[in-house]
Amino acid sequence: MTKLNRDKAQPAGIKLLFAALLSSVALVTGGCSGGGERDENDGTLLNTITLPTDVVLNLACEDVGVWPENCVLDDPENPFATTPISEFDVNNPNDPFNKLELAARIPEGPSGAKARFYLWATALARRPSGENQYFTALALHELFDANSNVLNQDELVREQAKKAYRSVLENFFGGVAVRTCRVVDGCDPPSNFFIQLNERVADNLYRTDATGWRRLVPGDPRFAIELLIDWGFTYDPCTDLPACTNGVVSVGEF
Amino acid sequence: MAGISLTKRIQIAFGLFALALCLPQVSYAQSDVVTTYKDENGWQLRVNGEPYYMKGVVWGYTPRGQNYTYNLFGQSDDQIRKILDYDFGLMAEMGVNTIRTFTMIPPKWVTYIYEEHGIMSIINPLMGRYGYNINGKWVPFTDYSDPATREILKRDMQVFVERYKDTKGVLMFAFGNESNYGLSWSSFEIENLPEGEQNTAKARYLYSLFEEVIAAGKAIAPNQPFTIVNGDLQYIDLIQELMPSLDVLGSNVYRGKSFTDLWAVAEEKLDLPVAFFEFGSDAFNARSFQEDQLNQALILKDQWEEMYRKSYGMGEEGNSIGAFIFEWRDEWWKYLQIEQLDIQNTNASWANQGYEFDWAPGQNNMNEEWFGIVALGPTNSDGVSTARPRTAFYVMQQIFTKSPLELDRDGVDRLFAGINLELLDLKGEVGQLAAESAEDKRLLRLTGGRFEGEMVLKGAEKSIDEEGRDALEFSDGQSVFLDFAFEPNDKTKGQMTVNLLGNVADKQPLEFSYGDRGRPVSVLTEQFIQIGDEQVLVEVPVPFNDQERIEIYDFNATYEGENADIEAFYHTSRFHWGYEGDHWGLLRETTDIPGMDIWNAKAPYGVEFTGKGKFKNMTFLIGPEVYWGANPKAMFKYDFRLANFDWTFIHSHDIARRTTGVDTTDITSRQNSQTAITAEREFANGIKLELGGLFSSPDEIEESFERVDRAGNVFLDEIEFEDTLGFRGKITFPWQETYLKATHAGLVADAGTVHRTFGIMDPSRLPNDGMGNKQEVEAGMIVRFGDYMLMPRVLYRDNLVHANPFIEPRIENGILRPGTTPRDTDSDPFAVLGNREARSAELYLTYDPTGATQFYDWDNDWREDAKFAYNIGGTYTRFPTKTDSYLFFFDPLRINVPFGEGLAAEDVWAVSSRIVMNPNPSSRYIFRFIRGFEQSTGNPGGLNDGNADYFEFHWRAEWNRKHFFSGFYKNDAFGPYDFFRQFNLQYPHQVQMDYSMLLGGSGVQFGSIQDEQRATRVGIRAQYRSLQEGNETFEQDGDYIFQTILYFTYQF
Repeated sequence: MTKLNRDKAQPAGIKLLFAALLSSVALVTGGCSGGGERDENDGTLLNTITLPTDVVLNLACEDVGVWPENCVLDDPENPFATTPISEFDVNNPNDPFNKLELAARIPEGPSGAKARFYLWATALARRPSGENQYFTALALHELFDANSNVLNQDELVREQAKKAYRSVLENFFGGVAVRTCRVVDGCDPPSNFFIQLNERVADNLYRTDATGWRRLVPGDPRFAIELLIDWGFTYDPCTDLPACTNGVVSVGEF
Repeated sequence: MAGISLTKRIQIAFGLFALALCLPQVSYAQSDVVTTYKDENGWQLRVNGEPYYMKGVVWGYTPRGQNYTYNLFGQSDDQIRKILDYDFGLMAEMGVNTIRTFTMIPPKWVTYIYEEHGIMSIINPLMGRYGYNINGKWVPFTDYSDPATREILKRDMQVFVERYKDTKGVLMFAFGNESNYGLSWSSFEIENLPEGEQNTAKARYLYSLFEEVIAAGKAIAPNQPFTIVNGDLQYIDLIQELMPSLDVLGSNVYRGKSFTDLWAVAEEKLDLPVAFFEFGSDAFNARSFQEDQLNQALILKDQWEEMYRKSYGMGEEGNSIGAFIFEWRDEWWKYLQIEQLDIQNTNASWANQGYEFDWAPGQNNMNEEWFGIVALGPTNSDGVSTARPRTAFYVMQQIFTKSPLELDRDGVDRLFAGINLELLDLKGEVGQLAAESAEDKRLLRLTGGRFEGEMVLKGAEKSIDEEGRDALEFSDGQSVFLDFAFEPNDKTKGQMTVNLLGNVADKQPLEFSYGDRGRPVSVLTEQFIQIGDEQVLVEVPVPFNDQERIEIYDFNATYEGENADIEAFYHTSRFHWGYEGDHWGLLRETTDIPGMDIWNAKAPYGVEFTGKGKFKNMTFLIGPEVYWGANPKAMFKYDFRLANFDWTFIHSHDIARRTTGVDTTDITSRQNSQTAITAEREFANGIKLELGGLFSSPDEIEESFERVDRAGNVFLDEIEFEDTLGFRGKITFPWQETYLKATHAGLVADAGTVHRTFGIMDPSRLPNDGMGNKQEVEAGMIVRFGDYMLMPRVLYRDNLVHANPFIEPRIENGILRPGTTPRDTDSDPFAVLGNREARSAELYLTYDPTGATQFYDWDNDWREDAKFAYNIGGTYTRFPTKTDSYLFFFDPLRINVPFGEGLAAEDVWAVSSRIVMNPNPSSRYIFRFIRGFEQSTGNPGGLNDGNADYFEFHWRAEWNRKHFFSGFYKNDAFGPYDFFRQFNLQYPHQVQMDYSMLLGGSGVQFGSIQDEQRATRVGIRAQYRSLQEGNETFEQDGDYIFQTILYFTYQF
């Protein structure tokens, strides 16, 4: 309050003050236009979303699905953009998590490949891990295989899948996925086992049988090894087929 | 002059007044009989029948680094004696025989000054000039028309006169200080008068009260004259009409080198002797921008020569009976009052054409910190602030060799003609050079510093059980602070402090402290090691023990420009703009420097431009972190007046996002911009109205968010323009300070801090929050009765959009039910956090019989002077809904991480009490109790589902202002730092006890927070924390952890 104000002060007009006060109360109790409480006319109902079953993937940005790009979260076609995906927490191992459950409920085969991509890419954008990057790459690989008749898409998705695989090696080289072998799978008692992801990446690129899908590097499998060398890695393929557990991926050339 | 600059000085004066009232009733008998005498030659003042001419100065004693809160008479008797002997010894050397002071000197010291140094005192209560405590309430603008106020003032002044009437050394009683310039109160009755008559009407009340006080005083003290301290001759006709009991016309006069027609007018109107209670000149030349001793001396010489000629028997009016030069010592606190107390500011704060030597049109020329006839020097080994005589001192020394009552007209002429100003000026200049040389004034100079050392012994129950004595860990730490000042040119000056670390003691987790930045850290590096025949690449931890050993602790510099003053600041206290119209709290206060030091935070950091001249009322602020937690930001403020309202426009814009926080509570925020406008007006009937609008977060328009309706449907919605708007209104009635405040804030209309009535000491626990998404009403009042104060307050708040629950996503037959999760402020445009729905009420009772030391002042722990004062009260809050998810800052990744879940709906409460006791002048006890049930501020899980049902007891005891014993006991409470509550870390028992002793030091006296912070100190602190299952280190440490810290601080 300035001195001038005090010196020039006049008695307050009671009517004026009441008007000001009532305006304030009206603002609070009624809210101003549009700024009050939301109702059903605001926004879009988001209770259910039909998962995509097609195999045409529109890339939201150049590196979608490759860490650290997270534009998938803003992709209007991503059904999982707002979905809370929880993961296994090694510090709180008893906490529930839903990522694998959601993944398991997406239809198998090409009709679920696009949804799978969005699920894993969303999980990757929110929490960088080798597992999320690997399964994003795997989904892209599946999409590449599934949409082979769509010529314009073919090369784009192939390159995207290769970038995603490469990211597993470059950003999450030591990454593993933990899976449980259940009684129904032949394990009694059930036990956990690790999947070495760098080995899976190399094998998926090297062998058609590893995925059952078209290889991303066509022609002689040695081309896949050359691609890995271009990326800075060496692959010594497995020999214990069909289990294929003794392949070795190394950093750099020996 | 003093009237303009002394707005704060009243607090100390009043405090001493209160002190004086508390002193035991001691009469110092045999006071002198002082009378006025008149014959055809004019007027004389007579002491015991002998003619007496007042050769006086206005005396005050405030050392460098202190301000108006400094309490000289709170020191030990020995120290007081040293100071008085120094100052009054020098005054006696100059020939001074009387002083006037704003400090209320206790009677025994009035007598001491008189008996030891022959100097008499004017007793000058200010009588409400700068506010007064009326029935327990501090009224800043005394209403002399109010019957209760008049009664209280009259009563208190009589108490004063009664106390001093028999005190040897008392010359006269004077009341007020330019009180006619302070007629600022408002009332219906007076405001209805034509504007030109309003002040005259108020003045009638003032002078009629003076008359009543003096008439009553004379009945009590017939042996002393009574006067007032008027501002020049204003209202002399009213004085003539209303004050028949007045003995002497006392006046503060700043007319330049001559008092012009004052003598004649006073003689004609009043026919009373005249005494000047203030006059003089500053010793700084605003034109040449340097100390100017000669012109100060010249003006004083001319003024005294005129007074001598106007005294008894000189053939002129004959009504001069003496005067008091303003002032004895420079006062370094007067410009900013609480800042830059170690620097003599050269800012000129007002203009006076009467002082031709440095006056220029449109420029200020009166330098408040330079009015002393002795300059303020450094403190000597006795703890006494030294004084360096200026030229004026030596001139006055020659003049005061004679009283005009000993001279005739020719003698006066000879006395003044004989003054060799050149020689005396040389003396003054030599003194100045010598002093400056002694202080080694250079561009950059070391001004002081401190050394801190500590030894720590700590242990944990489990280690001790398993490893015996060797399980105790010992560590030590050393830290040095060096203070530098610099003044590269006349307009630029500043200071900085550099910190150097030696070892760093390991006190965590019981205590975090400044210097922890130097703790050893371990960094994982990749190395090849030989295993058999193979080289294997492995990660190896490498310790670093010597990081960040030196750093700039703080920095502050100011530049006084033509159109703006510029201040650069780095980690020095900064205040909010709440008192400058920032009712939305956009600029937050950053004053808790010790609290930030724990985390080595460096806020506030920036540059402020304060406009002058044609840019007056504009302020521009920019910096990387202008308050703690701020993004790099620019702020602009403009104040103006329109339609009888004071308006303030503020725009705040984040330039970038801060990339890192300093602890888990220091989350980084999204970039934002805010524009606010406020208007306020105080009406004559005391009603105050504040209105405000806010436009915040426009970048978030069209940003999507999810919400869930009452039926559980999830909606994807968007931020709209209306969501960025906020409005507030507040009306405050004078009756019991009742207020009603209403706020509407759109979803993203985030403001800043909500200012509390009593600042950081306000006991309120109302869940105020500056975030948007709310409709809120708050009301309260302050009821005062006697020395009691009752504060009821209520708050009601609804959200526009509720927090989101966690809804598990599902996929069934190719259909995704996406669910939802609680929002957070990183991923979503808004979240429901501290702004959650609330219904809250509280009631606090305060008892404080000494209103001048406000119970809720931030430094009340040091200043409260009541024998017994306390508060007690509590707050109950119902939070009917959950919150969204809080965030914490995760340093390894430099990102914010959400807790994932919100806090549950809960009812929380707390009751507390603070008690201050001063059983005698040398001891003080402060106790604080808290009992409460409160929620975590982040983690909703863990112990007791995130709730603490706790009890706390804190104490601080002080003896002889040298011995301190403080500590706390907490039961089932959160840990001591914010992150403990954020992560819901609570403990069954926490104990801390600290004893320390101040050892003094160069220039240090005790009795204020400043003194305590500057003192050399030795102490010991013990800390204990019991653990339980669920605590983070229970498995590792066992049932408890403890440590003892021996510490030492040496100031130099």
